[in-house]
Amino acid sequence: MKSSSLRTVSLSFLATFAVALPAVAHHGWSGNGEEEFELSGVVETPLSLSGPHATMQIRVDSQVWDITLAPPARTERAGLKKGVIPKGAQVKVQGHRNSDPKRFEVKTERVTYNGKLYNVYPDRT
Amino acid sequence: MSAWTAGLAWIEASPLGEALRSYGVWTYGVTNLVHIIGIATLFGSILILDLRLLGVRSSTPIPIVASLTAPLAVAGFCLAVLSGICLLAVNGSEYATNPFLPIKFSAIALGLINAFVLHRTKAWRAIRAGNDGVPKSLQLRAMGGVSLACWLTAIGAGRMIGYW
Repeated sequence: MKSSSLRTVSLSFLATFAVALPAVAHHGWSGNGEEEFELSGVVETPLSLSGPHATMQIRVDSQVWDITLAPPARTERAGLKKGVIPKGAQVKVQGHRNSDPKRFEVKTERVTYNGKLYNVYPDRT
Repeated sequence: MSAWTAGLAWIEASPLGEALRSYGVWTYGVTNLVHIIGIATLFGSILILDLRLLGVRSSTPIPIVASLTAPLAVAGFCLAVLSGICLLAVNGSEYATNPFLPIKFSAIALGLINAFVLHRTKAWRAIRAGNDGVPKSLQLRAMGGVSLACWLTAIGAGRMIGYW
């Protein structure tokens, strides 16, 4: 390949990547509301660290909400280990609600239990 | 409860599921990685074979291309299936209403059927018998194209599962 066309290809690639970077930074948060969302309830299904994301379920009045946390290793590093929050415990979650009003799911950044704050996404305010 | 939902629940409740969920926080990630390696191996090999079937680099005899790519594709497929079963065993019931899962499995089934049928065509048998002088067979092209479409669809649907 001629050096000038190689340079053009390389610059184009870099430019595309630079433009895409802000999108990459928000990976996984589209599909959820922009504003901060808060919910308080009772733990229905305790923490699971098995799947692609750590999960739990809380009950608010008669509605069960899916709480989607960070990937398991990161969630554990934040102090949320299996068994820390028992079923029936009162918790508060903060994050972003799923944009689909028919889905009761919160992509959660912080969990507060027993006066302690567990922040699974400390880089997000 | 539909058979589909019941099936997913059954795999998840299996001893395999229990074991995988108990290992630790990196288990799902590693299982997913093995799945991806299997898929990459399968698709990379199939891509080369299908392009050849479609007529690319027609100076290279098909039997040579097939001898290199087919075993790799099979190995990749086996890796993908085994790790895929493990992935479903961890939390498969979560995907009971996810449309991408049945789309993916249908695409895989079609890809397998297409491969099976390909092996039974006259053109393929002639090639295996050493007669690569077969004129650019429309049958081979069509099957190469169908194969590519099936496996691309399978990969696409598989990736989109997480975004539903």
